[in-house]
Amino acid sequence: MKKYLALALAAVLTLGALSGCGSSSAENEGTEENSTQQEQEEESTQLSGAISVISREEGSGTRGAFVELMGIEEEDADGNTMDMTTQMAEITSSTAVMMTTVAGNTAAIGYISLGSLDDSVKAVTVDGAEASVDAIKDGSYKVSRPFNIATMGDVSDAAADFIAFIMSDEGQAVVEENGYISNGSTGAFAGTNPTGSVTVAGSSSVSPVMEKLKEAYEAVNPNVTIEIQTNDSTTGMTSTMEGICEIGMASRELKDSELEAGLTPQVIALDGIAVIVNNENPISDLTSTQIKDIFSGNVTDWSEVQ
Amino acid sequence: MKHFLEVFMHIIFLISACISILAVALICIFLFANGIPPMFEIGLGEFLGGTLWKPTNLIFGIFPMILGSIVVTLGALVVGVPAGIFCAIFMAFFCPKKLYRVLKPAVNLLAGIPSIVYGFFGLMVLVPLSQEIFGGGGKGILTASVLLGIMILPTIIGVCESSLRAVPTQYYEGALALGDTHEKSIFRTVLPAAKSGIMAAVILGVGRAVGETMAVVMVAGNQPILPQGLLMGVRTLTSNIVLEMGYAQDLHREALIATGVVLFFFILIINMVFFLVQRRKEK
Repeated sequence: MKKYLALALAAVLTLGALSGCGSSSAENEGTEENSTQQEQEEESTQLSGAISVISREEGSGTRGAFVELMGIEEEDADGNTMDMTTQMAEITSSTAVMMTTVAGNTAAIGYISLGSLDDSVKAVTVDGAEASVDAIKDGSYKVSRPFNIATMGDVSDAAADFIAFIMSDEGQAVVEENGYISNGSTGAFAGTNPTGSVTVAGSSSVSPVMEKLKEAYEAVNPNVTIEIQTNDSTTGMTSTMEGICEIGMASRELKDSELEAGLTPQVIALDGIAVIVNNENPISDLTSTQIKDIFSGNVTDWSEVQ
Repeated sequence: MKHFLEVFMHIIFLISACISILAVALICIFLFANGIPPMFEIGLGEFLGGTLWKPTNLIFGIFPMILGSIVVTLGALVVGVPAGIFCAIFMAFFCPKKLYRVLKPAVNLLAGIPSIVYGFFGLMVLVPLSQEIFGGGGKGILTASVLLGIMILPTIIGVCESSLRAVPTQYYEGALALGDTHEKSIFRTVLPAAKSGIMAAVILGVGRAVGETMAVVMVAGNQPILPQGLLMGVRTLTSNIVLEMGYAQDLHREALIATGVVLFFFILIINMVFFLVQRRKEK
């Protein structure tokens, strides 16, 4: 019995020593950070400390739209636009991870599609305008982008009927119910009741609302089966060009090369991009200049934006 | 009839063997045909030594990711190797039979958990823990290392334990007969005898850590910058590929495949070291 005890103790000690070696410098950093934080807290009750900038991966539709809308890009000498998002920004690969990260980090700032926003994080107002459907409609909230569907040449009757449904009063009502903004409808839906199947593929930002549209449409016309494949905007457009799917989804404007290839885009909804911070963050309003400075790395401390 | 069946089965086995070799060959051909040209297009020095990664502006430097993979792997070894070896020693020599019946399946279960689940565990448990203890964002080298350390445990424990058990009992009995205690015979006699097996375990652990993707993506922060501290974010070669592959086009896509070639060389080196260690063991 004594042997067991001795061995267990030895193992615990060794592990402790090893983990101590591994993290000693980190601990020092941590304590330094804490002490500076405490000093600053004594000075004022306002939030301070380094900002954790959270961004999406390069090439993401949400990131592309956000960078363009907030002006976090610069033209270099050759006229190419450079994405100026700070290299220190943490990169998350999906909306879900972005929200979990911001919800768990009081110093974080990030951005997500307005339709995905929930109570776990707080959306700040941009230039005084609240991130809401109404504010986007009246034009006061500027950070919004179109959701496009694209088709190649003539489509089957089933696909044409589904598109007609999306653009009708009924379809746009589904869009609004799910927190997105309608882009105007074409009146009541007069279905032609075709049969067949339609494949829809593309952006993971568009697919949640597409799923709802599919449910609503299949309730109206059960003779058509709709299959939705979720990947990303670029893949969706490529698949449509190659005829793998009939309708492609994109959470951004179509690129010139895609239009030249013969794709016809159609805006089915507008989506706001909400700038989100942790619920404990006292800041609730930022100007677009401040957001630009934070994401391009010019402002790195919360005390500088109050 | 029996003869025919024998020949027939021979052919089946041959085909099965060929399939796996063919798969390796095809992957190699694909990887090199698509990955080598962009390396030279970008410039070998610029690609491997460049510290800036801005794919939309056609700047491709993967040095931060190479360093990131190495640092995170070393971190995982610091966490996983001592824990793994001691656990294997415990399981082979000190564990009561009743406990072993629980411990062994538990370790095996650890190996069977999908890596995305490890990622969620890291995101929901380790990241907030690190925030609480050290402050900051919580994602970074330290968190990724601890998570990877846990993930390589089953590999290390499994291989270590079997190599410890493979040491002839005469070694242990001899040491006891010469007056050593139970502990001393194990640590001074059996453990050194199993050295090459333990080395093999560590190398296999390295292979797992280098190749791990989904879990690391979720807890490492993924900044494409040179590692600057244990709490700072880091991007590994694997996460670089998985983050951007869905969107990448043209040279960007090719650069990601070239990243795969670099990763392939990493694994190749690790496997070669493994073979060398194994050969020495046989001698």
